[in-house]
Amino acid sequence: MIRFLQACADGLLTGALYALIGMGLALIFGVMRIVNFAHGAFLMVGMYATYVLFDLTALNFLPVPVYNFIVGRFGEHGLNPYWGFLPAGLFMFAFGWLIYALLIQPVRNRSHFMQILMTTGIGLILTDGAQLIFHADYHQTNIDLVNRGVHLGPFGANAAEVLSFVIAVAFVVGLRAFVVRSRTGQALRAISQNPEVAPLMGINVTRIQGFSFALGTALAGVAGGLLLPRLYLFPGVGEDYTTKAFVMVVLGGMGSIEGAAFGGLVLGVTESLTSLYVGNKWALIVDFIFFLLVLSFKPSGIFGRQRA
Amino acid sequence: MSLLKSWKFWALVAATLVWARMPWFVQNNYQLQVLFRITLFAALGLAWNLVGGYAGQLSLGHVAFFGIGAYGLALFHQIPLPLWLSLILAATVATLVAGLIGLIAFRLRGPYFTLATIAFGEVLRLTAANLDVTGGAIGLTVPSLFHGRTFWRQFYLASVALTVIAFIVNYWVSRSRFGYYLLAIREDEDTASAVGINTARSKLWSLLLSAFLTALAGALYGSAFQFIIPDSALTLEISVQIAIITMLGGAGTLLGPIVGAALLLSAQEVFKNQFRESHLLIYGVLIVVVVLFLPEGVVGGLERLFSRKPRAPGSSKPQPALGGAAQ
Repeated sequence: MIRFLQACADGLLTGALYALIGMGLALIFGVMRIVNFAHGAFLMVGMYATYVLFDLTALNFLPVPVYNFIVGRFGEHGLNPYWGFLPAGLFMFAFGWLIYALLIQPVRNRSHFMQILMTTGIGLILTDGAQLIFHADYHQTNIDLVNRGVHLGPFGANAAEVLSFVIAVAFVVGLRAFVVRSRTGQALRAISQNPEVAPLMGINVTRIQGFSFALGTALAGVAGGLLLPRLYLFPGVGEDYTTKAFVMVVLGGMGSIEGAAFGGLVLGVTESLTSLYVGNKWALIVDFIFFLLVLSFKPSGIFGRQRA
Repeated sequence: MSLLKSWKFWALVAATLVWARMPWFVQNNYQLQVLFRITLFAALGLAWNLVGGYAGQLSLGHVAFFGIGAYGLALFHQIPLPLWLSLILAATVATLVAGLIGLIAFRLRGPYFTLATIAFGEVLRLTAANLDVTGGAIGLTVPSLFHGRTFWRQFYLASVALTVIAFIVNYWVSRSRFGYYLLAIREDEDTASAVGINTARSKLWSLLLSAFLTALAGALYGSAFQFIIPDSALTLEISVQIAIITMLGGAGTLLGPIVGAALLLSAQEVFKNQFRESHLLIYGVLIVVVVLFLPEGVVGGLERLFSRKPRAPGSSKPQPALGGAAQ
């Protein structure tokens, strides 16, 4: 029983990070009806951004004078990832907006077919671009926090996991409040509910879509930054997360932001329980089977509602 | 027969004969191997074209059939069964699996369909990577269909034969009532079903045909390289590659997949030496360029230039924003 509860707790800790990833994807889908196949690649870019801030020597792809200037100015050791994820998230926000303006906006009225191809292409460019710049080496951030434990009665967890859980929950709650309360959030929901009427109400659709794409990208980036201390970093690291994000978003009802957050938690717990009872290597398969079952029997998501 | 009087037919026959004679002009096995890959992917593109081009269903799970072809050949031959019987059985199993996938995935539309096909492919990859019978991550040795000093030449000829078969199937579909059903589904599925087309059955048949051909190509591929692992024969990359080849050349055209395979794979050969680790970069760049500037592909664009016939897999008209999640 203790083991079961411990696995559930572990799952929730991971699930909060998944929730961030899933909410980013749901936001983009909700506002644009675009399925972002580059989401995992965005996460990976966020991880690299955080990693570069942590270890400035990773910038050695830059021209020598620029590199020397930066390392000379700031030293080789930079920010702890648990701070670094913030500037990385800001960077990803700008990056997302740029991608939207250059590549997504031109296809926003095209068929799903073309949009899926476009985001797949962006994902390939980012993954192989990272490969070109940073090579296929594995990187790791050795920070003390990862080796420290936190105990609560019979349960134990890794301090780094707990910290990233707290940050992720703060983001999830903050995002929800933003979408529900703020004016931009209202505009965002208006477009998601009716993209034809929203512009008639004076909403600048291009700006709001750019904003939500950027915000979705930034959330993936933040999740990447928070995952960095716990994973090995390499260019293909995001691939599994694209599909995982789909699973969460479909579980929660496509386009529903709260649904995606729940989907993330459910997925985290499912994976954790699968690892405990069936074996670690089957976790991803169970994800997909779960996904196919939901898609076939309840495509509107297990939490019922049609959309945000 | 009117076919025998058409200059296009004889031009194609001549082109095929020249293409089949290529091994006698190249110097080494490496070049022959490149030609083999181009021809094989032309066949894969033509097979995918039935579902992705004519019926307009963006499947990114074709690697499932490709992989079942390759793994099936290896596993049936281990039983042991005769080589060619194993090949046919592998393709049959792939077709049966396609039936199952189709029954589930075709109930979904648009992005949901694509997601489901990806999921099926990934389930197979992960299962093959974790089961003992499929050799896990270490993979399997695939028996060679051809032997001897000139085995590459024979593999090449087999790939040409497969491309010809796939082309004939495409030609037949493009001229048949069945093909028109598929086009109607691509343009507007609800209307197609309203005028009495059994959309579910038409889509399923296109997938079955496509899967059978894809599995044969997969078996040929595995057998030529004699060794498969989940990350080579069941990776999502292959699904994407097949789709891109067809889109680049022109989805829903007869020559598109062949042109696409020749363009993409030769570009890849050139870039492979330039950016060693990042050979997929060129795929990404090409996809973006095609989507932005050439939504009907090379052949589709040329056809429009010469005939002004409006055709493209949904490139022209915007879809309703909600896109209908599922029926």
